[in-house]
Amino acid sequence: MAVTFNKLVIPASDDYRTVTDHSKAAIGVGVVGVVLGIIVAVISLTAASDVGSGGGDAARLLAVGFGLQTLSLVTLKVGIGVALIGILVRLWLRIEGVKVSLAALQPDDHGTGPAIGSIDTEYGAAVVTKSPPASLPVHRMARTMWFPMLVMGPMLVALGVVTSVVWANNIGTETGLGAAGWTQGLQFLGEGLVLAGISFLLGSILGSLREGGGAVQHALGLNVTTLKMPATAKAFVALMAVGLVVSMAQLGLYLYTLTFDTLAEITPWWAWLGPFRELGLALLLSGIVLALATIANVLGFQFSRIRSIVVTGE
Amino acid sequence: MTTLSINDFTTETTSTAPDRIMPQRAGSALWRPMFVMALMGFAVGFILSIVRAGQISAGGEPLQIAALGQYVSAAMFFGFAAVFAAISFAIAKILGEFRVGGGSVQEAAHSDVKTLKMPGTAKAFIILMAMAMMIILAAVVAHVVAGISIASGDWSATTAEQWTIWLEAARRFGVVLYLFAITFGLVTIAKVIRFQTFRIRQVADRV
Repeated sequence: MAVTFNKLVIPASDDYRTVTDHSKAAIGVGVVGVVLGIIVAVISLTAASDVGSGGGDAARLLAVGFGLQTLSLVTLKVGIGVALIGILVRLWLRIEGVKVSLAALQPDDHGTGPAIGSIDTEYGAAVVTKSPPASLPVHRMARTMWFPMLVMGPMLVALGVVTSVVWANNIGTETGLGAAGWTQGLQFLGEGLVLAGISFLLGSILGSLREGGGAVQHALGLNVTTLKMPATAKAFVALMAVGLVVSMAQLGLYLYTLTFDTLAEITPWWAWLGPFRELGLALLLSGIVLALATIANVLGFQFSRIRSIVVTGE
Repeated sequence: MTTLSINDFTTETTSTAPDRIMPQRAGSALWRPMFVMALMGFAVGFILSIVRAGQISAGGEPLQIAALGQYVSAAMFFGFAAVFAAISFAIAKILGEFRVGGGSVQEAAHSDVKTLKMPGTAKAFIILMAMAMMIILAAVVAHVVAGISIASGDWSATTAEQWTIWLEAARRFGVVLYLFAITFGLVTIAKVIRFQTFRIRQVADRV
C-alpha cells in the first residue's frame, strides 16, 4: 500500500522536460472548493434574510450551510495537497538535474569538502558525514502517513455533510441535536486529518531535500554536509501532534456532551468546544507555517552549497 | 507525453543575481510577526470562550454573553487571518530563496543570469491573498463593533443574529480565498522548480 501511493510523489518519467498535470489539477480542485464556498455564502445570506423577515428556515439553512462550508474548505485543502505532490515530483527531477549539471560545472581540481564532524553555517548547525545521511524517522513517517490522512479526512467530512442534512431536517429535536454534535465533531476531525496530510507532505518535501542534497554531494565525491534539524522543524512536529490530538479530542468531547440530559447542560460545553475545535486546526496551521519556514531555510543552505561547489569544487 | 523546452518560459536576463522582489522581502520580514500574532489571537479567543462558557453556566446577562460571542469570533479569526498571512509570507520567502539562490548559482558559473518573470499564478496568489486578508479583517472589526452594539443594547436580537450570520459568511469566504491563494503560491513554486531544472542543465551544457 505504502509503495503504491508513494508512486504518486515520484516522477512517472525521468525526463525533466515532461509536463505533469498536478498544477492544473490543484487549481481545478480549488475552483470546485471556491464554487462550494460561493454556494454557502448565498445560503448564509438567504438565512440572514429569513431571520430578518421572521421566517422559520434559517436554522435549517445554516445547518446545511455548515456541512457544505467544511466540505468547501476541505476541497481547497485537498487541492493544496495536490499542489504539494506536484512540488515533490518536481523536486525529484531537480535532484537529478542538479547532480548531472554540477558534475559538469564542478572544477576538476577539488578536495572532499569540509572535514567530518559538526560545523556552524549561516543557516544553522550542520553535520558533515562521509556518506549521505539516513532518512529521519519523522520523514519515513511522513511518507507513510500523508496518503491515509488525505483520504480519511474528506471521508469524515463527507459523512458530516450527511449528518448535517439530518441536523437540518430535525431542528429542535433530540435527533437534530445529536446530528449537530456529530456534524461538528466529524467535520473538524476530517479537516484536522487533511491538514495533517498536508503537514506530512511538507515533511516529505523536507525529507526529499535532505536525501537529495546528500545524494548530490556524495555523487560528486564530496563529504556530505547536512543541516541538523532546526528548532522550527522540531516545533512543527510538536504543533502538528498537539493539533491532531485536539482535533481527535474535540470529536470525543462532542460525543460526550450528547450523553447529557438537557440542552442547558450541553450549551456551555458547546460554547467553548467551538473555539476548541478551531484551536486544533489553528495549531496544525501554525505547524505548517514553521514547516514552510524550515523549507525556505534548507533551500537557502542548499543554494549556498551548490554555489560553493561551482566556485571551489567542494 | 507532452514535453517543454526552456523557450516555453518567459524570463528576464541580467548579468548578476537578482535581489528579492518586494513581496518576497515582505515575506521574509513578516512571516514571523504574523505567526506570533496568530498564536496570540488563538490564545485570546480560546480564553474568552471559556469565560463565556462560565457565564452561560452561571446564568449570566444574555447581552454580555452575546457580546462576548462576537469577541470570541473576532479574536479567533484575527488569529486565522494572521496564520494564513504567515503561510503566504513563508511561501513568498521560499520563492525569494529560489530567485536569489538560482541567480547566484548561474552567476557563480559565469553565465548570464536568467530569472523567471513573475508568472500569472504568482500574481493571482498576491491578489487573492490581499482580498482574503481584507475580507477577514473587515469581518473581525465588524465583530468587535457588533459586540459593542449588542452589549450597549443598541441592537435588537434580530439585528444581532443577522449580523452574526453575515459576518460568519464573510469570514468563511475569506478563508476560502486564502486557501485558493495558497494553492496558487504552491503552484508557482512548482513552476519555478521546473524552470530552474531546465536552466541549470542549460548552463551546464554550455560549459
